[in-house]
Amino acid sequence: MIVELGHYALVLALATSLLQAALPLAGALRGDRALMEIGTIAAKATFLLVALSFCALTYAHVTSDFSVQNVWENSHSQIPLIYKYSGVWGNHEGSMLLWVLILTFFSALVALFGNNLPETLKANVLSIQAMITAAFALFILMTSNPFNRLLNAPGEGKDLNPVLQDIGLAIHPPLLYLGYVGFSVCFSFAIAALIEGRIDAAWARWVRPWALAAWTCLTAGIAMGSYWAYYELGWGGWWFWDPVENASFIPWLAGTALLHSALVMEKREALKIWTVLLAIMTFSMSLLGTFLVRSGVLTSVHAFATDPTRGVFILIILILFIGGALSLFALRAARLKAGGLFAPISREGALVLNNLILTTAAATVLTGTLYPLALEALTGAKISVGAPFFNMTFGLLMLPLLLAVPFGPLLAWKRGDLPGAAQRLFAAVAFGLVVGCVVYYAQNGGPILAALGIALGAYMILGSMMELFLRSGLGKVAAGVAWRRLSGLPRSVFGTALAHIGLGVTLIGIVAVTAFETEHIIEMKPGMTAEAGGYSLRFEGLRKGNGANYSEEVGHFIVSGDGVAMGDITSSKRIYTARRMPTTEAGIRTFGLSQLYVSLGDDMADGGIVVRVWWKPMILCIWGGALFMMAGGLVSLSDRRLRIGAPTRSKKPKPVLEPAQ
Amino acid sequence: MLFWILVATLTAAVAAVLLLPLLRAPAGGVAPQSHDAEVYRDQLDELKRDETNGVISGADAALARAEVARRLLAATDAIKAAGPVAPASRSNRLAQLAIILVLPAIGLGLYLRTGHPDVPDAPLAARLANPGDDMNILIARAERHLVDNPQDGAGWDVLAPIYYRGGRLEEAAAAYENAARLLGATPARLGGYAESLIALSGGIVTNEAQAALRKSLTIEPDDPRASFYLALAMKQEGKTPEALAAFGEIVRTSPAGAPWLPLVNEHIASLGGKTAQGAGQALPGHPSGEDIAAASEMSAGDRTAMIEGMVGSLAEKLKQDPKNFEGWMRIIRSYAVLGRTDMATAAVKQSLAAFPAGGKEGQQLLALAGELGLEADGDVK
Repeated sequence: MIVELGHYALVLALATSLLQAALPLAGALRGDRALMEIGTIAAKATFLLVALSFCALTYAHVTSDFSVQNVWENSHSQIPLIYKYSGVWGNHEGSMLLWVLILTFFSALVALFGNNLPETLKANVLSIQAMITAAFALFILMTSNPFNRLLNAPGEGKDLNPVLQDIGLAIHPPLLYLGYVGFSVCFSFAIAALIEGRIDAAWARWVRPWALAAWTCLTAGIAMGSYWAYYELGWGGWWFWDPVENASFIPWLAGTALLHSALVMEKREALKIWTVLLAIMTFSMSLLGTFLVRSGVLTSVHAFATDPTRGVFILIILILFIGGALSLFALRAARLKAGGLFAPISREGALVLNNLILTTAAATVLTGTLYPLALEALTGAKISVGAPFFNMTFGLLMLPLLLAVPFGPLLAWKRGDLPGAAQRLFAAVAFGLVVGCVVYYAQNGGPILAALGIALGAYMILGSMMELFLRSGLGKVAAGVAWRRLSGLPRSVFGTALAHIGLGVTLIGIVAVTAFETEHIIEMKPGMTAEAGGYSLRFEGLRKGNGANYSEEVGHFIVSGDGVAMGDITSSKRIYTARRMPTTEAGIRTFGLSQLYVSLGDDMADGGIVVRVWWKPMILCIWGGALFMMAGGLVSLSDRRLRIGAPTRSKKPKPVLEPAQ
Repeated sequence: MLFWILVATLTAAVAAVLLLPLLRAPAGGVAPQSHDAEVYRDQLDELKRDETNGVISGADAALARAEVARRLLAATDAIKAAGPVAPASRSNRLAQLAIILVLPAIGLGLYLRTGHPDVPDAPLAARLANPGDDMNILIARAERHLVDNPQDGAGWDVLAPIYYRGGRLEEAAAAYENAARLLGATPARLGGYAESLIALSGGIVTNEAQAALRKSLTIEPDDPRASFYLALAMKQEGKTPEALAAFGEIVRTSPAGAPWLPLVNEHIASLGGKTAQGAGQALPGHPSGEDIAAASEMSAGDRTAMIEGMVGSLAEKLKQDPKNFEGWMRIIRSYAVLGRTDMATAAVKQSLAAFPAGGKEGQQLLALAGELGLEADGDVK
């Protein structure tokens, strides 16, 4: 009964969200406050209904109720309890329900805390949110219902996909969805503004934190997914330019641009149309990502064509929302008043450059992701667009952006002073070059590009800190005064610095791993040693073991450096009994920021085993940088002040000003 | 019933909550620009705070203040231009009607199409505690028992044909192999193993299957099943004369009217040989190739139904025709390993009524009961 009640709650949530989509919108058009008020209440009700539904599905999973098809297909009575929970969203149907749960949660937040929003804006936003909710609830009920029942309940489940039986994958999808769906709020605000034909002053104040929160979650989700792929898949790679990864990376790029745009809007009321367009594009890319991952189109265009129900449904959602939003934009964007004016060389100008590069980069990744699909659909030829394409195009695009990052915060609003900023960055440039040269010599003839890459990273780190130094006057005034000034700085300044430092840290990690990692594939017998990264690794032997729902072969290694034992590494291969599926559990030992990575290969006939040993210098910087970025996002999010950007006084009598867009 | 009461309560509660704002008297509206003015006023306050804290310099603050003030002026002008907003006093009948109709209409309409209100929850713990006639749970229990006691050959013996009929061919092959390893190779186990492999490879008699079948023939040279598949292997390898000879040998050694003769004759005919007369449908006690193909195409739910159906329909058949020796052997084994000792002993008793203990079959039934730890008089050893 609980399961069926959950099913009914989902259907009722669909009905409620249809009312929430229609009534407040009508209310906003007619100026009827009572109708607009329904949106607030309906949003909370929908959230509670979807939450009830989600709890019912969770109950079915935790109690191993195999009369529910979804539980039977994705769970097993013997898996550890945590994977019974994570199994709820570790499958297509459940993850879509989680998607809708988060969506309605955000709608409820807008309803709860939106009292200071103009009534019509709030009503319209909630109405758009409800349209998205209704579309996806209908999608779930029609094509991917997690509450389908088996009349003759099987006695045992088919098990959760073993690669998903990992703590990383238990938290990765919710984080990613928090990001994807968080951008839906920005989207709804953009559409609401277009419907009204005006952007309220409160608009940007609302969009920025949503963009920031969504971006922070998406960053965390992507970093988490990347680290998971690194330690679970056993290939030693951390990013594969795989379409599924790209599907989350494209919204991230667009979201990063949106974030910066929203910042300008809040402070300066400029870049309004940019912000609206980016809000639409970011959520559209999230929807497209959902389509790519959920429709099965990625496995093969032909597989998609044989069972197109899901894909076609999402495609229709995609066309309705993206097409509708862009049409509305085309019709109404001209009515939005352009905001504050600014000169090309100014903080606003720098952010426009940032937006341009980031959207181009997003388009590049999108092209690389969709091109093989289009080609396969049209000609039947199967090609894969791999790392070389992305490294060339995306890498080249990023170079000027990364160089420009430290300049942005140093330029003044409205009209800036480029030579001045360059002068102030001189120290950072010099520091970066010194670090680069040191690395070059240390590696003795190491790749010059790597040295330059690390120089760029170091320059970004110091350059991002420069604003803090300059604004606190460190070195010019007494230390006490500087400290007081530093602690008096708005938190968003620290947020900016942290996020930009994070970018530099990640860059250093990427460059160091790409250029300096070593890989050995050797056949080892007990007692043999291998060398990597200055450490020696002795193979002690294999032992067999059994987990709750798998059997495994565990290889035991002892690491020593300069003859001193430094600890051990265990690396294993598992076979999950229910699905008879093998997985690898890489053995990883961290030394500072670098890691020794050991992965087991095939057993050899003579008792040896193929062992792959990687030395991954500075690899933790890649995800450490993401941590910095997330910290930056959170710090900036905690800055709830009203934010006004102070323009500098013009030096020339009549500067050439440009319209904001 | 309780379910429908809860459904009705939930629907009514949501409708009531949504109707609430429509029933309250609407207050006067505010021009959207007044929100803007409020934001700008807050911004001016914030600027003052920043200036006192030294976050921005006095000159910068003055510039920013001028800009915000300009926006504030524009907003207040807009409020004046818009004039007072009249409270909407229109009737909301239509909206009320929509709420009252849409929720139950969509809610029930869609749910009755997609839901299964009559299917109760089935948490595994409750099912295990009280399995009743739940065949799937009985199999699951047997499987769990075998995970803990993988050396229980009799268990593998019972599960193997159930797996095979359910289309779980890999598990069937493994179970037959385990049973043969633990309890000794018999034609039944080797043949079942070979048949599982053959079904797995889509009807091709693989080398592995041939090896098992040859071993089976060394134990029981007159096993028609083993001879048949080995003949089929020759046919598949294109050794037509050898295959014809082998099929002919089966026809020669089989009793007249053996049920597998038509199938053998079919093969002889397709190889261009002369057929002998015979009647019947398939190899004894085993599903035909079509059955296997159908089973592997079945959905999992159907498969489990097939397993459950098997023991149930067998019991039914035995009730109608108790003179089915092989059927009794199979059902006693199934009951015993599924842990339903009472049913197994009852079946032993019933079978002995049909095949007296003095006869050859009766002796075999008693031997089976002994092997399974059952006593002919119904007690467990």
